[in-house]
Amino acid sequence: MVKYWPLFIAGALLAASVHAQSPDQSELIRRGEYLAIAGDCGACHTEEGKAPFSGGHAIVSPLGTIFSTNITPSKQAGIGNYSEAQFAAALRKGLRGDGSRLYPAMPYTAYARLTDDDVSALYAYFMHGVQPVDVIPQQTALPFPFSLRFSMAAWNLLFADDKVYQPDATQSEAWNRGAYLVQGLTHCSTCHTPRNFLMAEQQGKYLQGASLGTWYAPDITATALQQNPHWTRQMLADYLATGHAANGATAGGPMLEAVDKSFSRMTPEDRQAIATYLLPADSAATDPVAVKDLTPVSGDDLPQTLENLSEGERLYRDNCASCHNLSGQGLNGLPALKNHPVLNKPVADNVAMAILQGVWPEKGQGMIGFSGSLNDNQIAAVTNYVMQDMGHSKVQISAERVKALRAGGDASPLMLLSRIGMGTAVVVLVLLLFWLRKKRALKS
Amino acid sequence: MNNNKSADVVVIGAGVNGSLLATRLAKAGKTVLLLESGPKVGRDQLVERFRASAFKSDFMSPYPFSPLAPQPRYTPEPNDYLQQAGPHPFAAQYIRMFGGTSWHWAAQLWRFVPNDFRQHSQYGVGKDWPIGYDDLEEYYYQAEVIAGVGGSPDNGSPRSKPYPMDRVPASWLQQRITSRLAPDFTVLDDSTGRNSRSFDGRPACCGNNNCMPVCPIDAQYHGGIAAQQAENSGVQVVTEAVVYQLEHDAQGRITAANYYDWNKVSHRVTAETFVLAANAIETPKLLLMSASDKFLQGIANTRDNVGRNLCDHPAISVTFDVDEEIWPGRGPVSPCSIGQFRDGDFRREHSPFRIDISNASQVAAVTKEVLAEGYFGKKLQDEIRFRAARRLSIKNALEQLPDPNNRVTLSSNKDALGLPTPSLYWDINDYVVKGTAKTQACYDAIAARLGATNIRHSKTGKFSNRQHITGTLSMGLDPATSVTDQWGRAHDHQNLFMVGTGVMPTVGTCNVTLTAMALALRTADKILQETQHG
Repeated sequence: MVKYWPLFIAGALLAASVHAQSPDQSELIRRGEYLAIAGDCGACHTEEGKAPFSGGHAIVSPLGTIFSTNITPSKQAGIGNYSEAQFAAALRKGLRGDGSRLYPAMPYTAYARLTDDDVSALYAYFMHGVQPVDVIPQQTALPFPFSLRFSMAAWNLLFADDKVYQPDATQSEAWNRGAYLVQGLTHCSTCHTPRNFLMAEQQGKYLQGASLGTWYAPDITATALQQNPHWTRQMLADYLATGHAANGATAGGPMLEAVDKSFSRMTPEDRQAIATYLLPADSAATDPVAVKDLTPVSGDDLPQTLENLSEGERLYRDNCASCHNLSGQGLNGLPALKNHPVLNKPVADNVAMAILQGVWPEKGQGMIGFSGSLNDNQIAAVTNYVMQDMGHSKVQISAERVKALRAGGDASPLMLLSRIGMGTAVVVLVLLLFWLRKKRALKS
Repeated sequence: MNNNKSADVVVIGAGVNGSLLATRLAKAGKTVLLLESGPKVGRDQLVERFRASAFKSDFMSPYPFSPLAPQPRYTPEPNDYLQQAGPHPFAAQYIRMFGGTSWHWAAQLWRFVPNDFRQHSQYGVGKDWPIGYDDLEEYYYQAEVIAGVGGSPDNGSPRSKPYPMDRVPASWLQQRITSRLAPDFTVLDDSTGRNSRSFDGRPACCGNNNCMPVCPIDAQYHGGIAAQQAENSGVQVVTEAVVYQLEHDAQGRITAANYYDWNKVSHRVTAETFVLAANAIETPKLLLMSASDKFLQGIANTRDNVGRNLCDHPAISVTFDVDEEIWPGRGPVSPCSIGQFRDGDFRREHSPFRIDISNASQVAAVTKEVLAEGYFGKKLQDEIRFRAARRLSIKNALEQLPDPNNRVTLSSNKDALGLPTPSLYWDINDYVVKGTAKTQACYDAIAARLGATNIRHSKTGKFSNRQHITGTLSMGLDPATSVTDQWGRAHDHQNLFMVGTGVMPTVGTCNVTLTAMALALRTADKILQETQHG
């Protein structure tokens, strides 16, 4: 037996390296899995009903449909051949393993904030914690000039900031953790920061709200969150955990998806950290609007009264009041519309979108959509009734806008603009490079 | 004659069964024309009409009435659309509208028990079906998947696959009654097409307790959803199209259907295959109206079986006040029932039955009662609260055996389009009377277990209708005693099929829609099989 010792040890080592992961490695994979949830990688890379991270999810952008890639460790179809350095470059710089460029539908401009440790953990998870899937999903084919992936190099030079997050020593640990998450993994700015005509986030308007074409991602700067309706850190944390908060907010559309797939699966500490960063100065909670235990539906439903209702109010009564109650006061735990934060936005798009598509949380009560039963005029009428009569907002929506929302957002002038803009940018870039070289030449 | 149309298949009646069949055919590539006598009305308009109705307890009141496609109505007075020719009135209710009668229901989607299909060979009474439970099991499941059905798994109807939908959580009433009646009576979840989670673009039940007359949020499946899916699948739906005559050729093949639009302009549509899905009273009416020189007694009726064997569940009910607060009115209106008397050797002697426990709000009924007793002021309020919290309402689904004398014929009355209205003959035999006595004994035992006071039985010898209308287009092996074969095809006409509850030879002890849906899907497959390979 003894003479076989060296062989035995070698065999054991080999077995360990093949069949088992060291406790450190499995801890790393577990952490990577959590980070992948926080980064909501699955939102784009997992198509419903398909294997996790096998890609093929269609992301409709104003420039055309982008299909997410397979990021399973498959060597043929996924990222199985990526070294950690290549993985890090894709994540933080938008540079694929084959050297070509990713479109910024992949939020690498945000993931650039990730620490090396977290990138390692994500790499470990995607290489060892995800089942490989050997199916190549549908490929993206954007129109010119966006079909030229190398054009993204110029875009990156202009707009991408690839610096890792640097903690602010003057702030608390929670604030720094929140900043790291918000700016990085949870990539809030991807939706909540408006973009310029070249689809780059406008840093001067960081988190100040933007339209996604259909749904509107509201202003989530501290200034906005402290205005009416008032948010506290606890409300924000609750909202991220459940999709609703004591100030009456309820999530819908892509934010609800982010809550369901990502925020609700994060730790309470991380949700609190995000809230701390978004609201550096917490304020005391005002008591939420008291909901009595019984809220009976009551009102005058005589035919002559019904005849005199505005179209919006009549539609509201017929379609909405069964759940939201006659005056929007909510019913048996179903959301109140009175004082709902959605009525306080600069556009009525989210109200109309909720009416069109419904609201479908993974758990809990859904709201039916009305795209099949109400026409554009009717949806505009009931949206305006809710915005104005319940929300006391001056914001209106037109039937034309509803029509556009129904079709998936405005036919964007962006294509034209960016063809011009892209040309301009290239000229600027060439001039810039020329000037730099000249300067360098002068120095030397 | 104008706007004449033709299609591979013409389906008459846009209720749940016609719509399901039409959808399946359209998805398989057939051109399908679906004719509906009534209008298309949205859920929101029905909710508005319900709110504005003075007759809240009349579940028909939200549904628009037109003399051009009339339907039986009973408030404020019966409209006598149905002529009653028998010893017991058959107070049928049905909706002539896009989506049909299952607009107002409690989405009860039950399977028969296996012995329902072999009643005669097993117990020596009634009729055997031309098919068995096993022939229908797969189709039962398909229909359950479409409608999103959940229920108690062990309810006497074997399943090869679990229910596709989880059950809606039990209301307080259901929890209390289930626990108080055990072990003598086993209270089970009803088998219902009601969402307990978001499914098929419809949300979960949130307990409006408004299933009848209309679910305001479409948490429950209904014919309007089926008809809309048919339209979305490419079926051409024509509403306000009242079919009044089927035409045939010398060989007896059906060649055309003639309908009036609501301006009484006649239209003629042609097809390879015709499917009648116009309800168990209106379909026989159409067949009888289509009498010709060749078919003097009407289409599909050479042996005089059309319209015969009319069955329903002749129901008796009881209400009482339980000795504790059970709070009916939260959750679905009809969540649970007692199924232990649905099958057994006693079926040789008397009707089997199921006992349905209502969870509908009792506030309106109790208020009416208390006002009639002279209460007012605070005592009125207290008494309403006291009784509404304790009131339990129970009724039965009791099987009536098919009897050829119970039947649909044409009356001498005419509607606004000049079409004859139906006449009904309905009698109750001793088998039912004995089963009713057994039911009543159960009611008394249940009341005793619940410490009941204020017990009120429905009037002895009177039976109410459950609207589970069957038998009038019975399928069977023998053309001498049935209208259709096991596929719902008319014995007399190769290209004429019938779907809906009318083709069911017996009525069983449960709500009949799921069985009709399963049969409709089976008939659709048969039509596809024949027309694609024949």
